Amino acid sequence: MSRFWPWIVGLIAVLAIWVDVPKHGVSSFPFNCPGICFRLPGSAPGFQTEIKTHLGLDLQGGTQLVLQLRPDKLPGGTTTIPLAELNTQARGVIDRRINALGVSEPVIQALGDDKILLELPGVSDLQQARDIAVRQAFLEIKVPGEGGAFKSLEPPLTGANLKPTSVAFTGANQNQPVVQFEFGSPDDQRWIQLSKDFVGKPVQITLDGREISAPRIQQVFTSGGGIIEGGFTTQSAKELSLLLNSGALPVPLDIVQSSRVEPTLGQESIQKSLIAGAIGLALVALFMIGYYRLPGGIAVVALLYYTVLTYAIFRLIPVTLTLAGIAGFILSIGMATDANVLTFERLKEELRSGKSLRAALEEGRIRAFSSIAYSNAATILSAAILFFLGTGTVKGFALTLGIGVAISFFTAVIVTQMLLRAAISFPALRRRSLYGVEEREVERARELRSAPVVRA
Amino acid sequence: MLFRFVERKWWYFLVSGLIIVPGAIFLLLGGLKPGIEFRGGTLLDAQFTSAPPSEEVRDLVSGLGHTAIVQRTDGERLQIRTAELTIDETTAVQQLLQERYATKFVGVNPSSVSASFSEEILRSAIWSIVLASLFIVLLIAFAFRNFGWAAFRYGIAAIIAAMHDALLVLGVFAILGFFFNVEVDSLFVTAVLTVIGFSVHDTIVVFDRIRENLKLTPGEPLNPVINFSIMQTMVRSIITSVTLVFTLLALYSFGGYTIRNFALALLLGVISGAYSSVFNAAQIVSLWQEIEDRLRGRTRPPHKGLTAV
Repeated sequence: MSRFWPWIVGLIAVLAIWVDVPKHGVSSFPFNCPGICFRLPGSAPGFQTEIKTHLGLDLQGGTQLVLQLRPDKLPGGTTTIPLAELNTQARGVIDRRINALGVSEPVIQALGDDKILLELPGVSDLQQARDIAVRQAFLEIKVPGEGGAFKSLEPPLTGANLKPTSVAFTGANQNQPVVQFEFGSPDDQRWIQLSKDFVGKPVQITLDGREISAPRIQQVFTSGGGIIEGGFTTQSAKELSLLLNSGALPVPLDIVQSSRVEPTLGQESIQKSLIAGAIGLALVALFMIGYYRLPGGIAVVALLYYTVLTYAIFRLIPVTLTLAGIAGFILSIGMATDANVLTFERLKEELRSGKSLRAALEEGRIRAFSSIAYSNAATILSAAILFFLGTGTVKGFALTLGIGVAISFFTAVIVTQMLLRAAISFPALRRRSLYGVEEREVERARELRSAPVVRA
Repeated sequence: MLFRFVERKWWYFLVSGLIIVPGAIFLLLGGLKPGIEFRGGTLLDAQFTSAPPSEEVRDLVSGLGHTAIVQRTDGERLQIRTAELTIDETTAVQQLLQERYATKFVGVNPSSVSASFSEEILRSAIWSIVLASLFIVLLIAFAFRNFGWAAFRYGIAAIIAAMHDALLVLGVFAILGFFFNVEVDSLFVTAVLTVIGFSVHDTIVVFDRIRENLKLTPGEPLNPVINFSIMQTMVRSIITSVTLVFTLLALYSFGGYTIRNFALALLLGVISGAYSSVFNAAQIVSLWQEIEDRLRGRTRPPHKGLTAV
């Protein structure tokens, strides 16, 4: 091993601890930066990102929806726009709606071409979440047809070209909320033409196929503007305005999965899993020290190093921690021990066969390596498959387990070895009994070696 | 002194059989109950400061026109399962609970999955099991590539041992499902896949030792080499399993209801995995060799791979 390793390992430890320390609640940071910042020279905005633990919905509370695109529900029953394009457009619309509401850190992700995953932290009203996600907000102006029914214009006059709408108040006391709208070009000319064609007659304003009002046209319009009166409350007028401003969904969406977690219940889960993790770690530490003595103590230091580093990596990537993810992390603590166990068992074997500590250490490292590599590869492989094929909880678990095992490979092969080498450089720490091997076992091995070996 | 791991293989196979067969029977009886993720439906996980009787809540929900199964799970928690509800219906149930149990109602976590989506989740779960197994066979075959075609027998033996562990976990949950209505979800599938990964992980360590010893002692028959290798790796198998059992016991006892079944599945799998890697995996390789020898009519052949080493 290179003599630079101690420096590298130490540097990583310092960085990891810095990343792990909570940044919020601290009032001032150098250069006002609670994380990673690159300030480019000149007027460039640079790059700034806060380092923090990202908690999943099951831990911080919120609502999750999986939405299915239903192009078969479009008026014509089909569309020429490819599904992937519809998906992108729909996500854009939902994104604008969420931004207008001010939900922090939402997740809007395509699941294949035909589905959308939507996560709204802090939103615990399922009905509100549904309205954000699946209300189509398809505005259409219909004109009187034969027999009193309203019909669409050819082509339909829709809300696709609306300028941003706003809420205004009308009525005798100026207390009746209405939504003000204005068509952009060229629909403003059609709107004026419509008022010429149907002056004195009612037109119908529909939202998602339902009438919201049917005002009579009193006079020919001079601009592309108008108002929607629908017996609104201030709240519902605002909502409609917001929906119209965010645009209509290009395709109807169905909710195929919904779940909501109360923030208080999420808090409880965090506490429980933290306790479980701490107790698990403590049990492993006690056992390792009790069984392996000095190397056991070294393994515990390596395990703490592993925990600090893994948590730092989770915060940096960032990995969103869910309940299943934490379970994967706790499990990987157990896995991380295995690599140490393999190394120590080899070390003992080599010591028993009469080798010096230094030689036994080197031999043990080389011999344990292939077992550690292949067995970790098996776990990382299954974690990778789970990650790519799984959804939701499964993905979270696979990611933390996979990252955990990968990092444990580093700590077991580099950090544990380094600490063991450091330990044997102290004469006081060179007694074989500290490594769980009795002197007489070694004596016996020496005697046996002179005799012919019989194995079966 | 050598423990006769290989020679007593039929005893070990018998023990495995005795443990697995009851579970397998309940598996065939349809004991494994799919959760809402795999069959669609709605689940309301309601927390109280002191939970009302489940019959009372069931009648309350059926007053809204939904047939419900209500189960007390963990402390003051009730799980209410129904067919798939719309969001309005779910909200109505929640409001009813809130009105009726205002003082002792803490909150409810509803989740719904439609039947069409649940089919998809199930399909991807099955695919991941199949693919994971395939890749693991290839990985082990790669690890034993020096042995030529014999490499695959190690791969297949490791997979059989892993299936043994998966089957044990599935069987126990079939029994739990049959008697206590315990349902399985995608977290359970994850647990089974992780168990398969672990089991192979354990087995690889044993096989890796066999490989090393075969190299060190050319000309030695296979069975003694296997015995010796198992003995050398057994302490490590036990220690590793013990540390895993510790972490899983902590998860099981303190991790809360949601991951309790998950921890239980892993716990069973880890213990079974330790058993199968010591008492089954290498024995299957040995059995394979014996059958092949008998078919070819040889009495004491050198072990496979000797010429390749």
